[in-house]
Amino acid sequence: MVEHAPVLLMVVPLLAAVFCALLGLRWKALCLPLTIIGFIAALYFSVITFLQVSASSDHQVIYFLGGWNASEFPRGVGIEYRVDLLNGMLLIVIAAVALLAAIFSKQFVSMETPGKEPQYYALFLLLAVGLMGMTITADAFNLYVLLEVSSLTSYALIAMGSRRASVAAFQYLIMGTIGASFYLLGVGYLYIKTGSLNMQGIHDILIGEGLLESPAVYVAFLLIFVGVWIKLAFFPLSTWLPNAYSRAPTATGCIIAPLMTKVSVYIMLRIMLTVFGPEYVYDELSWSGPMVWIAVVAIIAGSILALGQKDLRRMLSYLIIAEVGYMVGGAWLLAPGGMARGESLYSTATGLVGTGYHIISDAAMTLCLFLAVGAMIVKAGSSRIEDMKGLFRKCPVTMACFVVGALAMIGVPPTCGFFSKWYLISGAFEAGRWEFAAALIISSLVNAVLFFRIIEFAYFGKLPEVDDAHGHHQRHDEGGMEENPPSMLVPLVLASVALIAIGLFNKEIAGYLSQFLNTVAMGGQG
Amino acid sequence: MKKLAGIVVFTVGLILLYGVSSLDDFPSWGTPDSPANKSPLSQYFIKNTIVDTEVPNMVTAVLADYRGYDTMFETVVIFVAGLGIFAVVRVFEHGGASRVVTADTKPDIIITNTCRLLIPLIQLFALYVLAHGHSSPGGGFQGGVIMGASFILVALAWDLDIALKRFSEKQAFICSGIGILIYAGFGLASVFLGEEFLNYGIIHKILPGVDSPEMARYYAMLGVEIGVMFTVTSIMFLIYGLLATRGKMTAGL
Repeated sequence: MVEHAPVLLMVVPLLAAVFCALLGLRWKALCLPLTIIGFIAALYFSVITFLQVSASSDHQVIYFLGGWNASEFPRGVGIEYRVDLLNGMLLIVIAAVALLAAIFSKQFVSMETPGKEPQYYALFLLLAVGLMGMTITADAFNLYVLLEVSSLTSYALIAMGSRRASVAAFQYLIMGTIGASFYLLGVGYLYIKTGSLNMQGIHDILIGEGLLESPAVYVAFLLIFVGVWIKLAFFPLSTWLPNAYSRAPTATGCIIAPLMTKVSVYIMLRIMLTVFGPEYVYDELSWSGPMVWIAVVAIIAGSILALGQKDLRRMLSYLIIAEVGYMVGGAWLLAPGGMARGESLYSTATGLVGTGYHIISDAAMTLCLFLAVGAMIVKAGSSRIEDMKGLFRKCPVTMACFVVGALAMIGVPPTCGFFSKWYLISGAFEAGRWEFAAALIISSLVNAVLFFRIIEFAYFGKLPEVDDAHGHHQRHDEGGMEENPPSMLVPLVLASVALIAIGLFNKEIAGYLSQFLNTVAMGGQG
Repeated sequence: MKKLAGIVVFTVGLILLYGVSSLDDFPSWGTPDSPANKSPLSQYFIKNTIVDTEVPNMVTAVLADYRGYDTMFETVVIFVAGLGIFAVVRVFEHGGASRVVTADTKPDIIITNTCRLLIPLIQLFALYVLAHGHSSPGGGFQGGVIMGASFILVALAWDLDIALKRFSEKQAFICSGIGILIYAGFGLASVFLGEEFLNYGIIHKILPGVDSPEMARYYAMLGVEIGVMFTVTSIMFLIYGLLATRGKMTAGL
């Protein structure tokens, strides 16, 4: 069974989703356990896959679906799964985030979407299946199919909230569909020029037949990139994100916000490094100048817009836009000629390591913050920042986890946010892009202002005073501690521990990422 | 705003034109020399489909075997569409304030009798399209849509309640799930027999009366197409019912 782990990590949650939809019609209480079992299995199989990857000599595990292997048949006859160090790590992150979000959802689903728990959990599982499938696949069209699965499920999961959520979901649906169509059109162009859908196959043909200067390939890259750009919510195509994320049901926000944009960044990396290859993206296109500037604008705009928000979830949504700017900027830092062929990509591309690292740490940070905010909103009764007064006294554990998440977002040393930012900033120095380094530092300062304002409200803010019948001032529920239930606290504490763990293991993670980049620089064959 | 949209559309058009502008770069329409036609993959499919799978229709073989994994998730997409529409629009009313207004007109005698004649034929044709997908255009998706249309015709000619008596909402959900279970079941059967997921050839070990892996692929393809048909039929009907009644799933039209 071990060698089937790459496909089982997809199929087990898929079956769990189907059983959820079927058995849930009769036994609603089965849905949550089924979901959790599905995600535990996915986590187990993705850890096994990653162990296999790191143990193998060329640091990748290849699985041919339907047995159409590349040794007997031409590459690309069937669909291929290829797990390397980058997506191996990401698979674990996706499964773990989904598991924690599912445990957290217990209090919310029956409250926010009454009567539809089976459908909710089935869609929830299928969203994670779609995201894992996009991450693991080595086939450009299979990626599109899984993109459809994950997009459709996320539209539905967002729209299940209030009436305002369905308007936001509709906006997201239009934008997302345009993005997916662009992606599909680009893959079509690539297929016309190369006759292959396998990512490595496309790359080999592009290099082998000298197609790097072809206008059709250029248009293909442009279309695919714009499609992913929309999915990324990279500025200025990010208008759909704040509404969709802040109005979604709580549990939906907790899985979509940490994963959706991060998986899209991964897809961008995969398209850049594996499908087109660094020699095309960095040397032939040389978009490095404008792309990093757009990233700078994205970071500054996202941070400033976050400063102006009164609603906590909305503020976090704008911060995601800034974080996407970090990752896209880091990926494009490499200047033309920055990588000589055959040379290790790592020695010249610390920015790429930073991007990979930030995908992982941002997923963990966003999860921690969205979980904490979800728990805080329950206690405060509203999502306005002003209403967070006195929360430290009411629920100290929740607030402690929120502080850890906030410190990671600001970039304080033992947490992962510091290390990923460190790699991004040193990448910027290495490439001589001072504007990017400046934007990162400004955004950290803005984050510090934002989060300390909330922490101040929650710690020092006095609860509103009420006059009793005799005209005496009386504080209501003074000192009363009402912590959240364990189903909310356990995932929250685990998420904040993960933030510190990802930070402490920074050497290992950066080592894996540089190993991955070396493989890419050697032509992807390992 | 309209002008801006115009500029965007114009720019995208220009980019697409740029892509096909150079004649020696972009293959002309339908040419046999295009990279897609000359590639080892297309050559492989043309030469070996019948050898590998015994299926004369190459499209079906690519869809249901070589790239069967994509098709499994296309089926999941259909399933998700049904679940998603249910999740968004379904409203549960427990005899509340807003009573459903039912039309008190009787079903038209000409229409209902024509449908009585047509529906069995439509359903037979759906099964034919499904079963004949191996050698002519057709398959689970097409057959499923036709089958779903026959149930929708019942709902149109009589009303949704009559259609739901034959194929209830719950049954539709169960059938749509069963379709995916059938598809994934074929995949898992190959895993349990020691081969890769969806490597149907190995199923000949447990399929009675089939002794070659090629014929096993042939029958397994039919099996997964049946699964696809289950899902597509029930989701088609479910989506119609939900949208036609604004999520109330009663009376309708």
